[in-house]
Amino acid sequence: MTVALAVPDVLVARAKAGDQAALEALFRAFETPVYNLARRIMRTPEDAEDVLQETFLEVVRSIGQYRGEGHLWGWIRRIAATKALMRIRRDHLRAAEPLDDEPAGRPGSQVGANIDLERAFEHLSDTSRSVVWLHDVEGYTHEEIAELMGKSVSFSKSQLARAHARLRRLLGEGAHA
Amino acid sequence: MMHCTMDDLLALRAGEASVWARKHIETCAACRAELDALYQRVAQLKALPALRPPRDRWPVVREALRGDRARRRRTWGAWGGSLAAAAALAGVLLVRPNHAALHAELAQAKEQSATLEDALQRYDVDGRVLSGRAAALVADLEDRIAVIDGALTLGGGRTDAPAQDAQLVKLWQQRVDLMQRLVTVRVTRARYVGL
Repeated sequence: MTVALAVPDVLVARAKAGDQAALEALFRAFETPVYNLARRIMRTPEDAEDVLQETFLEVVRSIGQYRGEGHLWGWIRRIAATKALMRIRRDHLRAAEPLDDEPAGRPGSQVGANIDLERAFEHLSDTSRSVVWLHDVEGYTHEEIAELMGKSVSFSKSQLARAHARLRRLLGEGAHA
Repeated sequence: MMHCTMDDLLALRAGEASVWARKHIETCAACRAELDALYQRVAQLKALPALRPPRDRWPVVREALRGDRARRRRTWGAWGGSLAAAAALAGVLLVRPNHAALHAELAQAKEQSATLEDALQRYDVDGRVLSGRAAALVADLEDRIAVIDGALTLGGGRTDAPAQDAQLVKLWQQRVDLMQRLVTVRVTRARYVGL
């Protein structure tokens, strides 16, 4: 999903001054891309909704700190990605699971050849989904992902390679590598 | 025959591949097909439809924002109340009559503001439902109070000149006026809910 949202400077200025209508306008402009990012990374719609809410709570509370450097979407997206990754880390800590574990699969789901890409993507581990989405779709560098995840650049690169290898297997593609 | 690994393919895509991988991809049709498939997968991921939130989460965010503002107001109220006593004492001690009068007015406005904050807290019970019109009015008044609080933050610490004091008194009096209107809206709503 490509986001090319241009937000008028005057709207941002009003939001920074605490204007509630302007803050709501920002929410309406970015709620779908934020939810989409969260939903692609999180395992359930409920978790993605919580990330959406937590993201905008932070946005409305700290919009004054946005200095206008770079696109506003980049600033909001970073908050959303951080919230999503924090939630994944917390959930894994609670479940005492390593971050890069492959999921066990969902009840009733058949993993095999010829499933579509969207379903195959859902079968990746939380960490693999995060890395693939942030790198391949949102355009984050491995350095940025490593910083967001508190991991090394090589961790991000190896996660991306493992994820693509698994996607290829799930999609029944390729014979080597 | 040795083929490209997924690491090699990703490195090729990023323009960071080894010399061996760059040479190999030129001669190996299978690896070129793998690289094409990688590009296609990524293009398909980018083309997935946007998923939209099933429920509107703005009301929750808005209420949290109002809660923040209410807490800030209460902080200001407490700050104003405690400073009111200090300002009153300062007013007594000051020699210049004009300055003393301003400080007395300032102390009075702050005391009124603190009293209204207390009144507001009594009526501002969570969980009560506002009509749309009342909610809009409350939001507008809260926004205007927030603007005044912002101005007080900027100028509140500088009370060394009569002109600045006069401006401070004016701001506090405006705040009292808005607080009175806010309390009136809340009281009206409370009576309405109580029917």
